[in-house]
Amino acid sequence: MSYYFTILSPTDVPLFNIAFGTSKSGGDGIARFRFPDTAQYMNQFIIHSSLDVVEEAQWMNGNMYLKHIDTYPPASAYISAFLTPSGARFLLLHQPPQLPSNSAGAGGSMSGSLLLGSGGSSSRASASSVAANPTSPQTEEAVRQFMTEVYENYVKTVMSPFYRQGMEIKSSVFRGRVTAAGRKWL
Amino acid sequence: MSSATKASRIGEELWKTRVDKVNAELVTLTYGTIVAQLCQDYDGNYHEVNKQLEKMGYNIGMRLIEDFLAKSNVGRCANFRETADMISKVGFRIFLNIAPTVTNWTSDNNQFSLIFDENPLADFVELPDDGRAQDELWFSNILCGVLRGALEMVQMQIEAHFVSDVLRGDDTTEMRVSLVRYIEDEMPPDEE
Amino acid sequence: MTQPARHAAMLSISNSGPNTMAGEKQQSTQHMHTQSQPSQGLRVPSNRKTIYDRHLNRSRSAELSRASFAFLFAEMVTYAQRRVTGIQDLERRLNEQGYPLGLRLLDLLYYRTMSSSTSSSLSSSSTSASPPNRPLRILPLLHLIHGPLWRLLFNRPADALEHSVSPETPNEYMITDNDPLVNTYISVPKEMSMLNCAAFVAGIIEGVCDGCGFEAKVTAHNQPTEMWPGRTIFLLRFGESVMEREKVLERAGVK
Repeated sequence: MSYYFTILSPTDVPLFNIAFGTSKSGGDGIARFRFPDTAQYMNQFIIHSSLDVVEEAQWMNGNMYLKHIDTYPPASAYISAFLTPSGARFLLLHQPPQLPSNSAGAGGSMSGSLLLGSGGSSSRASASSVAANPTSPQTEEAVRQFMTEVYENYVKTVMSPFYRQGMEIKSSVFRGRVTAAGRKWL
Repeated sequence: MSSATKASRIGEELWKTRVDKVNAELVTLTYGTIVAQLCQDYDGNYHEVNKQLEKMGYNIGMRLIEDFLAKSNVGRCANFRETADMISKVGFRIFLNIAPTVTNWTSDNNQFSLIFDENPLADFVELPDDGRAQDELWFSNILCGVLRGALEMVQMQIEAHFVSDVLRGDDTTEMRVSLVRYIEDEMPPDEE
Repeated sequence: MTQPARHAAMLSISNSGPNTMAGEKQQSTQHMHTQSQPSQGLRVPSNRKTIYDRHLNRSRSAELSRASFAFLFAEMVTYAQRRVTGIQDLERRLNEQGYPLGLRLLDLLYYRTMSSSTSSSLSSSSTSASPPNRPLRILPLLHLIHGPLWRLLFNRPADALEHSVSPETPNEYMITDNDPLVNTYISVPKEMSMLNCAAFVAGIIEGVCDGCGFEAKVTAHNQPTEMWPGRTIFLLRFGESVMEREKVLERAGVK
C-alpha cells in the first residue's frame, strides 16, 4: 500500500504533504505509486478532486474523522478525511499495490482498464492486513489512529504564537512525527 | 536557616495563601500574542522587539513591586545576595510560580545568573524558522525589564539580559543580572 | 468509469473557499512542490526537546498569578493604544489579537476532549461516542463557547446565553459575562469610558466561530448593573451565509 498524506488549510492551501508506503506485513515504508513519474501531480489532483465530497460531508456529519469518503477508480485511489475543528483538512490517499496479474486487491477490477504503463513498479506481494482492503473496518480504525496522532502534533504546531493560520508546516520534527505515525499505524 | 531557604518558605506560603490565581495558559497565550504582535509590527526587527519587551517589562516592574511588597511584607535586603534569593524564591514564585536557580556569582557579589528550568511564558512556543529569530530574539525579554523596573523602585539600579534560551537551541535558559549601583534615597528614579 | 459530478446540492453551504478556482488550486500545489526542499530548520537543545515533546495537557490545570495576567494585559492594551486613532480602532486591534487565539484554543479544546478518558460534553450535539463532534449548527457552537471555552480561559462558564428577540435580527446572539477577568484590573481613563477591553475576548470568540465555519462579527459592550459594574455583553452577529446554511441543515434534520 502506498500513501499520500496532505494537510490543507480551510482555503485549500497545502500546508504539508508526505508520501510513504506501508510498514505493515514486511513493507519497507517506501511509497510505490502506480505511475511513479506523475504520482506527485496525480495524487494532488485526486486529493483536490475529492474536496467537494469533503465539503459536503463536513456539514452532514460532525465527526472529526470522516473515514473513507471518496474513491478515484482510474488510479485505484481511496481517500480518507479528518477535519480539525478549526477548519484544516487532513486527507490520506491510499493506493493498494498493483498486482502482477488480475487478482485480489480491492481496486483490482476497477483499475483493470488502466493497468498499462506502470512497469514493474510493484514486485511486492499483496499484503494481507491493513493494506489489502482500504475500506475494511480494520483499515478505517488504523487510519483513525494515524489521523489522531497527526492531529496531536498539528495542535502542538498551531499552539505556537508564531504560527498563523495558513502557514506551511516546515518543521522536520513534525515531519518525523507524521512518518512515525505512518509507520506505527499504516 | 539560610536566606535562600527562608525565602523559599516565604514564597511557597505566599503562593498558597495570598495570591489570586488564573489559568496559567491564559497568561502564557496572552504573552505569546504580545510578542507575536510586536514581531509583526516591527517587521521582524527582533532587536527592536527585544527593546520594546524590555520597556514593557520595566513599566510592569515599577507597578509590580508595590504588589510584591504589600503581599510579602519583607523588609530591606541586607545585601545583593539576599536580593537575588528574594527575586528568585519570592518574586518569581508569586508571579510565575517558578523559582529560577540563583548561581554563577562573581567574586564581588555584584553579578549572578538566574537559570530557568521552567518558563511558563515560553510554553507552546517555537520561534519562527526564518534563520534569524533564533539568533536575535529573546522571547522572554520582558522579564529583564520587570526586574529592572521593580528593583529601581527599591533603590537598586541593575542591568539584566538573557545569555541563553532553550528556544534558541541552547541547553539552558539563563539571565544575567548585574548590580550597577544603589540609588541614593534622595535621588528620584532614573527617567527612562 | 469517471467519477460522478461532484458539484451537487450542498455546495452552496460549504463554508470556506469553495469558490477557489481549479487554476488556483493547481497553482498552490505547484507552489508546495517547489517548497519541499529540506529547510535548515531550527536548532534544538542537546536533549532535543521541542514543542512536540511537551504534552499538550501538561499545563492544563496549572495556575499563575492573576496580577501577572493583569499586568501583561494592561501592557497589551497600552501598546495597542499607541498605534490607533480612537476607541473603535483600539477595540478592533484588540479583537484582531484575540482572533488567532480563538483558533488555537478551539484545536486545543478538541484535542483535550478527545484525549481525556472521561468524554465530557464538549458539544451538546455529541452523542455518547467519545470523540467530540464539530458544531454544525449555531446552538451547539454557542454552547461550546459559553461552556468549555469559558472554562478553559476563566475556569467557569459564562453567565448567560440569549438569542435576540427582535425579528429583525435573528442572526444576533448574546453571551453575558457579569464580571469579565479582563476588565477587573484595567482602569480605563475617563475619556475612554466607552472602551471595553473585552474586545480581546470578543476576538477570541470570533476566532472560534470562524474556525468552526460560522462567519461572525463579535463585539463587546458594557452593560453595567448595580451588582455587576463590569458586566459585559458579547454580541455575536452571524453572516448571511451562516443563516442560510442553518435553514438548509434544519430541513435536512442536522442537529
